[in-house]
Amino acid sequence: MKLIESKTLVTAQASIEFTSIPQTYTDLRFVLSLRSSRAAPVENAYLQFNNSSTSYTYRRLYGTGSGTFSGTETKIYFDPPAGSSTSNTFGNTSIYIPNYAGSTNKSVSIDDVTENNATLSYQLLSAGLWSNTSAITSVKFLSDTGSNFTADSVVSLYGILKGSDGIVTTS
Amino acid sequence: MPTPTYTPLANVTLGSAATSVTFSSIPATYRDLIVVHSGLLTSGGQEIRLRYNGDSGSSYSYVEMTGTGSSATSSTSSSMTYAYGGLVYTTVANSIVQIMDYSATDKHKTGLTRSNNSANNVVAFAHRWANTAAITSLELSIGGNLWAAGATFNLYGVIA
Repeated sequence: MKLIESKTLVTAQASIEFTSIPQTYTDLRFVLSLRSSRAAPVENAYLQFNNSSTSYTYRRLYGTGSGTFSGTETKIYFDPPAGSSTSNTFGNTSIYIPNYAGSTNKSVSIDDVTENNATLSYQLLSAGLWSNTSAITSVKFLSDTGSNFTADSVVSLYGILKGSDGIVTTS
Repeated sequence: MPTPTYTPLANVTLGSAATSVTFSSIPATYRDLIVVHSGLLTSGGQEIRLRYNGDSGSSYSYVEMTGTGSSATSSTSSSMTYAYGGLVYTTVANSIVQIMDYSATDKHKTGLTRSNNSANNVVAFAHRWANTAAITSLELSIGGNLWAAGATFNLYGVIA
């Protein structure tokens, strides 16, 4: 796994985008440490591939600190902490995208926690799909509420290579 | 937690429909293993059956939690003849399995599986293989079903 690029916000921004993603890896992994300025405990953040706003499906299993739930959406969401969560806390999010440069639809795995020293704190396991066969060349992270990601938010992008087929058999 | 180095060990992309994939002669030089699967079935839905060292005995147990999109559930079972390596249907999905301390010879082997299918369910499995042998091979099979051509399977080693 090799670091491709890491971005740290010096000032608040409405989105964070990775462009010209090299097509030389097998899988991508994003690691995010984000916080939003939204006046609420949690931000509804989401991602877009290649600036496309369509063809997403999403399903999640999540706990809130007081219950467990499951739901579906038409955006691929994750939930960093926001303005009324504990000061100085940033969320933890890991996003894994297999075969991002391939010619099949793109599936996504997300592990995500809001981080909030209070009863309300989200932990989410999520599955996403972008029903598009284009290679992923850019990824943008946005707020669904029009809020900004705060300074000191960090997003790192890693590339993962595949191995050889020398010890594999199929039937 | 050690930094996951994801050293690539093996890969296969199915050139035609298949029912099983086996990684053999796995080197014992890493701490953990990670298997990443991406693909779909030719029809229906099926669990991915994960077996170590060819063991098809009643040596596996698991606990899982599932999000269906409308409800969250959990269950457990023991004396299984396989561990769960994910669930797969007819839309592209992925599953990621991490197997801890796979080459140890003084402990039962445990693994965590994340199964990600946006059209059907999100599942997290934890499993145990009641065997102290070092894992040298692992098989992923799909019962009586078929993976469609193009499914990918990648094996990685993680250094402690």
